[in-house]
Amino acid sequence: MADAFAEFVNAAKQEPAAHPLDQPVATWTEREVLDGEQVEAGVAILRTRGCYWSIREGCAMCGYFNDTVPGGVSTEALQAQWAQVLPRLAGKRYAKIYTSGSFLDPTEVPLDFAAQAMAEMHAAGVEKVLVESLPEFVHARHMDYGAAPALEVAIGLESATPLVLDKCVNKRLKWDGFTRACANAHTAGASVKAYVLLKPPFLNEAQAIDDAVASIERAAPHVDKVSLNPVNVQRNTVVERLFRRGEWSAPWLWSVVEVLRRTRECGVRVYSDPTGGGTQRGAHNCGECDQALLDGLTAHRLGGPLPAAACDCRGRWKALLAQGGVRRDGAEPWGYRRGFRGGRRF
Amino acid sequence: MEPLAHEGLGRLLELHGRRTPLALGAEAGAKLLSEKALGDGGALKLGRRKLALPSQPLGRDTAQAPFLALSDDVAVLDGAASHDPRQLLAALRATREEAGWRRLLYTPAVEPAEMPLLAYLGVDLFDSLTAELRGAAGYRLEQGDWIPDAGATTAGNRKALAGWLARIRSALEQGRLRELVERTALHNPRVAQLLHHSRELLATLGARRAVEIRAGALSLGHPAVTEWRHSLERFTPPAAGMVLLLLPCSARKPYHWSATHRRFHRTLRELDNWLALHVVSVTSPLGLVPRELEMLHPAAHYDVGVTGHWDANEHAMFGRQLERLRPEDRYKKAIVHAGSASGLLAELLRERGVEVLETGAERPASGAGLGALRAACRTALRGVASLSGRDRSRGEAAGLAQVQFGELAEPLLAAAVQGRWPRLRLEGLANFSPRIGGFALTVQGAAALAAAGGPVIEAAEFQLRGDLFAAGVIGTRGEFRNGEQVAVEQGGEITAAGIARMAPGEMVAMERGLAVEVRNRG
Repeated sequence: MADAFAEFVNAAKQEPAAHPLDQPVATWTEREVLDGEQVEAGVAILRTRGCYWSIREGCAMCGYFNDTVPGGVSTEALQAQWAQVLPRLAGKRYAKIYTSGSFLDPTEVPLDFAAQAMAEMHAAGVEKVLVESLPEFVHARHMDYGAAPALEVAIGLESATPLVLDKCVNKRLKWDGFTRACANAHTAGASVKAYVLLKPPFLNEAQAIDDAVASIERAAPHVDKVSLNPVNVQRNTVVERLFRRGEWSAPWLWSVVEVLRRTRECGVRVYSDPTGGGTQRGAHNCGECDQALLDGLTAHRLGGPLPAAACDCRGRWKALLAQGGVRRDGAEPWGYRRGFRGGRRF
Repeated sequence: MEPLAHEGLGRLLELHGRRTPLALGAEAGAKLLSEKALGDGGALKLGRRKLALPSQPLGRDTAQAPFLALSDDVAVLDGAASHDPRQLLAALRATREEAGWRRLLYTPAVEPAEMPLLAYLGVDLFDSLTAELRGAAGYRLEQGDWIPDAGATTAGNRKALAGWLARIRSALEQGRLRELVERTALHNPRVAQLLHHSRELLATLGARRAVEIRAGALSLGHPAVTEWRHSLERFTPPAAGMVLLLLPCSARKPYHWSATHRRFHRTLRELDNWLALHVVSVTSPLGLVPRELEMLHPAAHYDVGVTGHWDANEHAMFGRQLERLRPEDRYKKAIVHAGSASGLLAELLRERGVEVLETGAERPASGAGLGALRAACRTALRGVASLSGRDRSRGEAAGLAQVQFGELAEPLLAAAVQGRWPRLRLEGLANFSPRIGGFALTVQGAAALAAAGGPVIEAAEFQLRGDLFAAGVIGTRGEFRNGEQVAVEQGGEITAAGIARMAPGEMVAMERGLAVEVRNRG
């Protein structure tokens, strides 16, 4: 059956469109917290060959391969991208340098290019850099940069439940591999941020909440902070297929808040910045209370309290959770969240 | 597990003191039990029996075969609530191949409005999940429909759902499930789509059940009606070179019992060579009903509102039926005396190159109408070779047998034809039966069909008294559907003839229930 799942993942994928190699995918700035202080962080996504796993099979929810270049990107092209990114980091104390894969995979981001980028950021006054990587590349020899800002490595744990990783996410990650990666990062002087998914495909809302809470509690002793990522619908993925067929819908914002509430005592900072929040393709509620909750989540991420809001749709969310033990997929009736208002379907 | 009744692909089953189709969570003593470990699927409870459910379809593409998740007792069609109609039909079509006949088929979280149709297509188990959520959103379930109601409760919806399922079960028992399905389809686009796409499946695998059809807007797609229209391809008129006489249908069935058709008959039989007239009645939704077939189901068992208006669908249907009858090759000429349908039929016949006489009578059975009929028949019969009563009966028997048995009718037609329609007999092999509305096979007749590759039920060797039950069925040969005539074979010998009351695979798999209604024993 694992093979059938891999086939499903591959069937959903499409060859990425042609992209200019000398342009980063995107750059922007966002509010972040650095050493308890709010700062403006500079963010860039470099265009690379992409995640090696997505080339073989990939994960059920991940559409980052859409932004990659299957033939690979030369070091010269990466440097051309970097030349556009660096000026935008001027005056920023915190930088997030993403690729659509693993920054620490030397076959994706050559080590000398990475070292050069780190040195230039260090020289530009950046104090902390966040990079992402699959756990198998988190090793001191891949982080040997010389002069560099403090490093924060974000690792996608997704779930601490083998069944969920295997049958819902299609990620070959062993718990030991994850804890070893955390230890390696700490040894190399880096801090660790874990990504935990909320509502991977195939799980129902209640199962998703329980799994995210259990995963965060299990990961907390090994990491410095946890970002809860409500699954959103990315193009050409299994999630998109299930979403279109009505067999899965993005998690409720109430579920996001619920996971944060239940993991308050876990010992590390847990927060969420839902991608596509408030839309059908991202975590959303009834449409009335979405913006208030999203604003509350942003405030919480920057150090505020958990959002508290009241809305009619919370009762509907609770009714859905009550069916958690017997619902066989992540779907709910079309129009349920908004109480079937505005159009009717049977 | 005992099947009590069939309609379409649906079954009324009795098991563990309960009857399916039922809704888990809505009816007393039938509920879903929560999973014990993530993804194990949980179980369901029927009375005191606990049946494990197959595990949750984690990582599965439910649009790819195999479509069903199986446990020992239950087959689950995941995604049934949201699959597009064709996809859902593809999965339902594969049900018996994937799940066999002894597993209960469960479609999770479907809308109540879809339940009658899904039950008609073979689903045994539903649940109350959607009804509960609707309750939480302020909607009350009423006759399968959602009514906004601030006072709606989950418990209230569960109860209403139980009532809805009780209605589905009683409709299935009475053979009226199709009516309930058509009624829900009228105002529910998804059900209408599903029903449309299920035509072929129902016509090839569905049970034939001889209940009255009270025709409505969707009855053109009724499997018995569709099948009837196709059966005209197998029909031949009693003799070559006859005159086709198209008459209107009557409210009373069979037609020849009606007052109007008796008047027609009294008029016709006074004519010379009137046996060379071949009466075919014109009706919706069946199209054309040759006289010798009018006792068959559904010709003798339908009711339709007559308005005198023929819509485009009906117009097209008459065209198609005439194509199947091929009047241009088979009749010398045609007389149209069919009231409101006359104009369109005359036009269609002329398009096919048939010489047509129109009586032009608006009220065909009135004195004037009958006069016009008499005159037209006299004109049309001039120069037509005379047909003897015996030849005509032989031809009628052949036409009827071919419609009933298709290619397998050949060995039957070797027998001498006795009697007059409707009481025709094929000597020793088949007799007219009012219950069947056509030929009922004798043991010898069933054996003759079996020798030609007809359907045979292999039964255990015991003294067969009364009907044959599923427990006694060892195997089947040949193709047949629930409702068709079959031979029963015991120890290599045909010992009985009767009507199949289960599908072939079903009577082999089941341990209880009526398999063959035996009508003749050797």
